[in-house]
Amino acid sequence: MGLKILTVDDSKTIRMIVKKAFRPYDCQIVEGENGVEGLALAAKENPDLIILDITMPVMNGAEMLAKMKEEPELKDIPVIMLTAEAGKDNVMKIVQLGVKDYMVKPFKGEQLIERVTKIMPLAEKKGDAPKEGESESKYFNLDGDIQMLAVPAKILRPTIVEVETQLKPKLKEMTGGGIKKMILDLSKTKETNVSLIKLIVTVLDNCQISGVKVLTVASAALGKELKDFQETGNIPIHFSIDDAKAAF
Amino acid sequence: MDLSDFDLPTFIRGATQEVFDTMLSMELSEQELKDFGDTSRIVGSVSLAGTASGTVNIHVSDSFACQITANMLGMELDEIDSDDEVHDVIGELSNMIGGDLKSRLCDAGFTCELSIPSITSGKDFSIESKGWAVKEAVCFQFEDHIALIEAYIKNGG
Repeated sequence: MGLKILTVDDSKTIRMIVKKAFRPYDCQIVEGENGVEGLALAAKENPDLIILDITMPVMNGAEMLAKMKEEPELKDIPVIMLTAEAGKDNVMKIVQLGVKDYMVKPFKGEQLIERVTKIMPLAEKKGDAPKEGESESKYFNLDGDIQMLAVPAKILRPTIVEVETQLKPKLKEMTGGGIKKMILDLSKTKETNVSLIKLIVTVLDNCQISGVKVLTVASAALGKELKDFQETGNIPIHFSIDDAKAAF
Repeated sequence: MDLSDFDLPTFIRGATQEVFDTMLSMELSEQELKDFGDTSRIVGSVSLAGTASGTVNIHVSDSFACQITANMLGMELDEIDSDDEVHDVIGELSNMIGGDLKSRLCDAGFTCELSIPSITSGKDFSIESKGWAVKEAVCFQFEDHIALIEAYIKNGG
């Protein structure tokens, strides 16, 4: 049985971001829209962790936390506070409330996971981890002795999280099976954005660490755009899978 | 500190660009102020009240709002269920930008509270806000879209 995490935020957007951040992990997420709902859910569900927004209607996060501290059953539940305000006074106020940690918005899902893992261990969902000898996954496909990593037309932050989650076990599986070649296939990708650059850098760095040679395939237009970025400017681009295979 | 010494232009630009980059992976470039004309748009607003008071408005076209929502929630455009989802995302963006402004004001010695966000939507309308000590409007571009950010502050008494 995984962890039970209560996210209390009046913004459905933030609750969805929190849920997505925990998706790769063995966690049950319970949601509340304000402090009153949060208190009731905390008492009913007895969560292992509460991710609590400060500014909410009906009852704000600080009031909810103060009430929790008065309840013997709730006072020891660790709380990570979310706030849009990074000012010194606000941070001091949050710390004095007795939270385990706090996060200032804007934040990335992976930053939240980092904070949580400092408080408690998170186990990856068993179903999401590639089984031994299994080469198929959403982005990975084995073609002979070459591991293909094909990414979608548009790279968003969740894509990076998914690829990162799958990449390390995949590289371990590859090197264990003697596979030392990878093609990063960007031929479907139409748009250059920060997420794409981060994804390329992540893949190249991890492959280098694992001793896997990786070649990149992209359209001529995308290849030209990648040349303009410091991080990707020196990466040789192949314009077809066949060209890349031949280059190995 | 006098509000006229408060560097509103720098803070509002920095906060907007950080929020769009971190939450949406969108790199904004500043451009000349533009009018939305009769393009249907959404405005997310938050207010500050205290020894300094103020308002932050973020204006985006409906189509940009949908693109922002899709990026924020990691979904495709056709997966957006309702206007509520879009309004919530735009409200959250205004909360983050307004929250940063509040922090800057508090660090400068002012005390103020941040409201929860509100949303205005429609077309061919203007928002006039008067009586402020310091105001800043800045227009950003992402691909074919623009975002107009307005911030107003004054002494709250």
